[in-house]
Amino acid sequence: MPSSRKKPDSLLESLSEKLSKSSDLEQRSLCTAEHQVKLIYLKSVCDSATLNRFILTPFFETESEQSYENYIASFPGTTSSEDIKEILDYILQGRVGIVFNSGKIYLFEAVRVEAGPVQDAQTEVIVQGPSDSFNESLEVNMNLIRRRYQSHDLKAETTTVGNKSKTSVAIMYDQTRIDPDVLAEVKRRLEGISIDILQASAELDKYLSANKFRLFPTTIVTERPDRAVFNISEGKIVLLVDTAGYAVILPAIFNDFFTAMDDKLQVLPVGWFLKTIRYIGLMMTVTLPAFYVAFTSFNTEVWKVQIALLVSGSRATVPYPSFMEVILMLLMMEFLTEASLRLPKAIGPTATTVGGLILGTAATEAGLVSNIMIILVSAVAISNFVIPLNMMGFTIRVLKYGFIFLGTIYGLLGVVLGMVGVVMYLTGLRSFGKPYFRMFSVDRAKVSSSSKGERTDG
Amino acid sequence: MVKSKYFYYLFLINALINIINFVPRGLISHRFSGAMMSVLIAVLIGTLFIYLFVKGMSKFPQKGLPEILNENYPRIISSLMLLGHVVLWYTAGLITLLSFVDVSLRYISSDVPSYIIMIGFLVVVCLSIRLTSESIMYALEVLIVLNIPLIIYFLLKGLLNPYFSWDAVMQIVTYSWTMPSYESIAQATFIFSGYINLALFNRVFKNLKVRHFWLIGVMGFLILLISFLVPIGYQGTVGIERHVYPWFTTADALRTKTFIVERVLFMFYFTYLTLSLVSTIVHWHVALEFTKGIFVSKKQRTSPKRSIEWWIIIPFSILALLGLKMGQFTLDHLGLMYLDVRFVGEMFMILSVYFTYWLKRRRRRKT
Repeated sequence: MPSSRKKPDSLLESLSEKLSKSSDLEQRSLCTAEHQVKLIYLKSVCDSATLNRFILTPFFETESEQSYENYIASFPGTTSSEDIKEILDYILQGRVGIVFNSGKIYLFEAVRVEAGPVQDAQTEVIVQGPSDSFNESLEVNMNLIRRRYQSHDLKAETTTVGNKSKTSVAIMYDQTRIDPDVLAEVKRRLEGISIDILQASAELDKYLSANKFRLFPTTIVTERPDRAVFNISEGKIVLLVDTAGYAVILPAIFNDFFTAMDDKLQVLPVGWFLKTIRYIGLMMTVTLPAFYVAFTSFNTEVWKVQIALLVSGSRATVPYPSFMEVILMLLMMEFLTEASLRLPKAIGPTATTVGGLILGTAATEAGLVSNIMIILVSAVAISNFVIPLNMMGFTIRVLKYGFIFLGTIYGLLGVVLGMVGVVMYLTGLRSFGKPYFRMFSVDRAKVSSSSKGERTDG
Repeated sequence: MVKSKYFYYLFLINALINIINFVPRGLISHRFSGAMMSVLIAVLIGTLFIYLFVKGMSKFPQKGLPEILNENYPRIISSLMLLGHVVLWYTAGLITLLSFVDVSLRYISSDVPSYIIMIGFLVVVCLSIRLTSESIMYALEVLIVLNIPLIIYFLLKGLLNPYFSWDAVMQIVTYSWTMPSYESIAQATFIFSGYINLALFNRVFKNLKVRHFWLIGVMGFLILLISFLVPIGYQGTVGIERHVYPWFTTADALRTKTFIVERVLFMFYFTYLTLSLVSTIVHWHVALEFTKGIFVSKKQRTSPKRSIEWWIIIPFSILALLGLKMGQFTLDHLGLMYLDVRFVGEMFMILSVYFTYWLKRRRRRKT
């Protein structure tokens, strides 16, 4: 038997030494005539009401030490340990160490979680359908998923990530539908993460991916429980991070980023229509500026005569080449987006008014940019916002500058080069061994079971 | 592993790209001397070749040609055979690229220097050929499926045009009974030779089953007729011979009234640029993998390091840039010559696959 059992005081001493200079460390000694125990805990992470009700009051009501020990041990959250490091971890998590005279230490769960109530989704708003979103507590999040997926096949394994933050990460999946290779790969990568602090789910996404420098997100970060549940039912893995209000879904394919959760609520043709709209939006936001540069500076003969005249007439006063015009206006648009994102809610609308209305009108009247340019920039911005998931939206925002560059050098030819390049890049990507981009990816549930032998380098 | 349907994409990409690789040009120069007959013969030969090759490769499931040759022949012979195929595949991609640079200069970007265009093409192609074979198949599918509606639109537009001269076409059809030459047959079979990429892509097919060989035959026949006869319907039986890229001239004759782009040429260019890039990627990917097959170390049977790919890609690119020195006349000749030589190469390939199978079986029986 380890020495800690013989000398309860030395155990307490070494614990309090480790936790010294913590003003929230609480050490208590409870004694009645018959028996006595010692408590050690951090009061900042423990719930004092629970403590009073389930530890203090019963102590004075029980007659013997043995019956109190039995009472404490009967709680489902109570554990016992003899390893000092493990005990320390438990106390830091928010457990109360109860040391009996026999030297046995029980760790009673009295953790206080400060997390807001379940709120409506903020970043993925839908028209109809459930509107609750994950919050900062892991248990609440698991509850949100379990309640929607009442099957014994739904498994939830927990590990910790982060040397200092010790954040618990729950891996949730349906064991009958999942590809075991992917699961093993995820677990392997999770173990390989060596960072001090993990605070956000998106961070996890960054450390999980095999290729650090990539353009497209290969995991979905979502705040919607219904999306998480839907993906679990499709055989994907959901990672829930404690203290982060978002879940990571993997593996993710390109098409997932263009699916909103209310697509399924619509009548079938409407759903198709919405999806088509999003892909058209994608094409427009990426290629419109590049096409503008290509067609005004390179291949003016492409346009119908009327349109060519219209554009060049509207550009007559503009004193610089078209690509300067496009880049200037797009940058202004990016500033506007960024500014209205970070500004306090009260000032936000002012920025949009000043930027959008006044700047746009004044710039065209001054002859610095053409009217058509303003229309184009707004079209690009709006069609960018059509993409339902933010991560992809940001990627696309960056991508269009690459196309403008190609359009500036090569004209129409450059835009085509860019498109082929992006398609090749996308098909070369793998999300945890699954092909990221394919034409007919709808039958992926069937494919996933038949394509296990696929090579994953790429 | 990919499904069998990807085999049809391999067939389709070659069939669609024939316009760039001088097939119409070759056939048109034989239009009074047996081109029609060679189309018919090519359909038979092409379908037969596809059948034979698919059957032959199915004897070596999930193996590419480099593995098949390296396992069954002495090093020197397998390397030489592979090298021959590398040259053929590389030239296929090279001709597509060179003629597309030429087309771009002539029709789209006349003020961009040719080597800048070539560098643009090479960057996309060379970065893409390093992807895995599956990825290339997926990209092939995406780009073909996206482009097919446009191609159908061009065809309808072209065939329904009142200025399309059916008389000129009928006149060529009256030459159907003229005996063809070897060249015109070899040139016409090019549209079927997408199947030959299976020599590498067989690695990623999971028990490949090709059904509907007749469908491939019918499709090939229609595509051949269209790519040969439609330019004649526009340019006339005699006037056509002045054009190096008959199809681009034809596309330039078409006009859409209801779209912001008036000249069909630009949409046609758009489509064919994507298709020829992806076709080059497929061809050069095969060439790259075959070259890697030459450098496989015999003892470990492991494929060489990925860094070696750059040492293959660099000469590929330098040769392509040097190829720009070629005039249009030489390129035209090279293109037609390639079509003739390739036909022999294909026959050799099919024979070698069957011979290897026979050799392997005999060896197994002995032991």
